[in-house]
Amino acid sequence: MAGSVSPAAAAGGGASPRVIPVWDPLVRLIHWSLALVILLNGFVTDPEGELHETLGYVALALVLTRLCWGLIGPRPARLISFPPSPARALRHLGALRAGDRSVHLTHNPLGALMVWNIWATVLLIVATGIMMGSPRFFGVSWVEDMHEILFNWLLFSVILHIAGVIFDTWRTGVPLVRAMIDGKKRIPADRPIE
Amino acid sequence: MRLRLPTTSRDERRAATLAVLIVVLALAAVFFIIDVFADLGEYGLGWHIALELMATVALFISLGLMMLELREMQNRMDSLDRGIRAARGDMAGLIGGFFDRWQLTAAEREVALLMLKGFDNDAIAKLRGVAVGTIRAQSASIYAKAGVDGRAQLFSIFMEELLAEPQATEKGGPEGPPPSS
Repeated sequence: MAGSVSPAAAAGGGASPRVIPVWDPLVRLIHWSLALVILLNGFVTDPEGELHETLGYVALALVLTRLCWGLIGPRPARLISFPPSPARALRHLGALRAGDRSVHLTHNPLGALMVWNIWATVLLIVATGIMMGSPRFFGVSWVEDMHEILFNWLLFSVILHIAGVIFDTWRTGVPLVRAMIDGKKRIPADRPIE
Repeated sequence: MRLRLPTTSRDERRAATLAVLIVVLALAAVFFIIDVFADLGEYGLGWHIALELMATVALFISLGLMMLELREMQNRMDSLDRGIRAARGDMAGLIGGFFDRWQLTAAEREVALLMLKGFDNDAIAKLRGVAVGTIRAQSASIYAKAGVDGRAQLFSIFMEELLAEPQATEKGGPEGPPPSS
């Protein structure tokens, strides 16, 4: 048996990263589906077309399912695990400036704000989209303007979200994109977990 | 050495399938509701709407049940995973405790750990970049401090600790046979 063990395994348990399952399959599926729908409806589908409308309803279903799952799902997926708290986000920012490298198992406080922001924005875009299709608001310009402004805000948020993921991957050494693909956070041994 | 239970990957696959089903069902539920509203405008209340409403309610109930099922599955996998990690941590703590008690030097601790991981003297010497004679001397010192006369006995100390009767049986845990000496 001695010869079959690799030197890497012999280096000891202390140096290898801790692998902790965080994101369940439903969270991951909804995340990437929503990303795809946003991409398609923002840049590919014809805004006047039926597909655009259908995908809008798909986005609605995805966010609503995620919110339900946030009420009954496992702990990291629970909404109460990452409340939208500006106070905590500010404290987190302060800790970042002080060079804090601790790892959050669910979203970090800034990430939590972004999550709520993106869900709310998607819901509002869907709402204004449905209004545009209804006879009562058909052709009303402020609804259409709102739909556009909200989408621009969503784009801005998504870019910020991606920047945040890149930054936090660099800060904590946890490959976050991979965690959203296979659900497991690989946390370097020397990082404290919050 | 990673402990990997055979049930984990099967559970993961089942959980993923369930997640896909939940999303598909949620999509169906949303489109069904839209259809109910559209039909309500067209036909008014009647058998058609009643049936559609019933189907929608059934959809939502199954959606909820599937979510609960997925939650159960996730929790089960999570506690399994936590149990394995706790066992790993306990084992490391246990080994460290023995090493402390025997007052091993830093070098001896590392050699002893490699021994427990199943390396022979040659492999340990190569890993640590020292002569085999050094390792032999260090292992002799380890055996002396631990009061054993060889590798097999060193192992048996830890095995005994692992197989020992737990002091207080946890609620729901398997009952061991009564201690006999």
